[in-house]
Amino acid sequence: MIQKAFKWLMQPLGLAAVLIVALAVFSLVVWGIAQTQKPPEQPVPQFPHQLHVSFGVQCLYCHPGAVRGPSPGLPTVSKCWGCHQQIAKTQTSVKLAPLKAAHDSGTPLQWVPVAQVPDFVQFNHRPHVAAGLNCENCHGDLSKVDIYENPQVMNMGWCLACHKEKSAGNPELYIKLTDCGTCHY
Amino acid sequence: MTTIDLNLVGAKGALVEEAEGKWGMVIDQDICTGCQACVVACAMENNIAFVGEEDSGYGRSMHWIRIERFWEGEYPEVKMTHYQPMLCQQCGKAPCEPVCPAFATVHSQAEKVNLQVYNRCVGTRYCANNCPYQVRSFNWRDYNDDRLDEAIASLKNHFNPDVTVRRRGIMEKCTFCIQRIHKAQDKAKSEGRAVADGEFTTACAQACPADAIVFGRVDDPESLVSQLARQSHGVHHLEELGTLPRVTYLVGGQ
Repeated sequence: MIQKAFKWLMQPLGLAAVLIVALAVFSLVVWGIAQTQKPPEQPVPQFPHQLHVSFGVQCLYCHPGAVRGPSPGLPTVSKCWGCHQQIAKTQTSVKLAPLKAAHDSGTPLQWVPVAQVPDFVQFNHRPHVAAGLNCENCHGDLSKVDIYENPQVMNMGWCLACHKEKSAGNPELYIKLTDCGTCHY
Repeated sequence: MTTIDLNLVGAKGALVEEAEGKWGMVIDQDICTGCQACVVACAMENNIAFVGEEDSGYGRSMHWIRIERFWEGEYPEVKMTHYQPMLCQQCGKAPCEPVCPAFATVHSQAEKVNLQVYNRCVGTRYCANNCPYQVRSFNWRDYNDDRLDEAIASLKNHFNPDVTVRRRGIMEKCTFCIQRIHKAQDKAKSEGRAVADGEFTTACAQACPADAIVFGRVDDPESLVSQLARQSHGVHHLEELGTLPRVTYLVGGQ
């Protein structure tokens, strides 16, 4: 039975079938991996960070929590509307339709956070900003991208590389910045 | 007789380092009423799971602090001794630390407390078996997963965002509310000052209606906790094991 099937597969038609199945599996895997690498769908699908930056809007205007505490926050509809109500294009633009719809119906824009760390990591923006880091040091140059994507993998090696660099020559700070309990509790 | 110069072998330095603590606690057993407010406050502060009736029956209940009761004498002349709140003693020389094969329970060099690194823990439970105080608790199930228990979904909003929600198969224990330590230090640093004594405290100490629990810096001789710990009726539990506990119990004071 198995020998018979093997014989059939060795025919030109059988080989073609094997090739088709192999191609199908391969493309399914590629598609699957590509799915995991896609940035998540945002409520305003074509939100242009670079346009906002080019108008001179500071990062902290929309993400003010970064100087105060752990989370910088994502802008609410009323924050967006504060400026956009004075922009005539907001009423007509297709790109801005989700914002107008959200404002008119009173439903919040549910932004999907992209720069995230796992639950077991307790990250706080404030000390990083206070230490003189700028947003672009970790989040990349937002004047060049529309939808935000992490410019690098935000893993522990990346955190520690910077912590070690910043605390070089200061043993007390080195101990603090490389201590497990500084981020994991 | 030969003597070993401890300064040369580095052992003295290591011992001194172990002996000096940073954060410590004093629990006055004379005024503890056993009301369990600390137990509740700890569970709320640290996202401790409710294990339910069945698992509790198996002895899997999870508490980072518990009130121990002891009796003296033979029936019917039974007398109860003082209530004894028992929590992780944050030993300077912790028996749990060297037995962890994954280095998940390590001593913090910065805060001088005994850490449990949840993402490193693989759940061997060696640490709990080696803890003379029996204060470690193990997550036998995903107690906080609402896919397994729908009733949990309504409790999601009670979680403290500053503390990790633990998952199945890892060990956990009292952290001396390290999230509060970090928060106070962060606040003090942003205001350009040092953390003042009594500025913040742990959840159990905050909740204690009798003020039987005091938390603070033990390396500062002027702090309230240091002054209380210096009293003659202060004891360290299982001190003879050489664990160098950071929690001082006051029993039988005047």
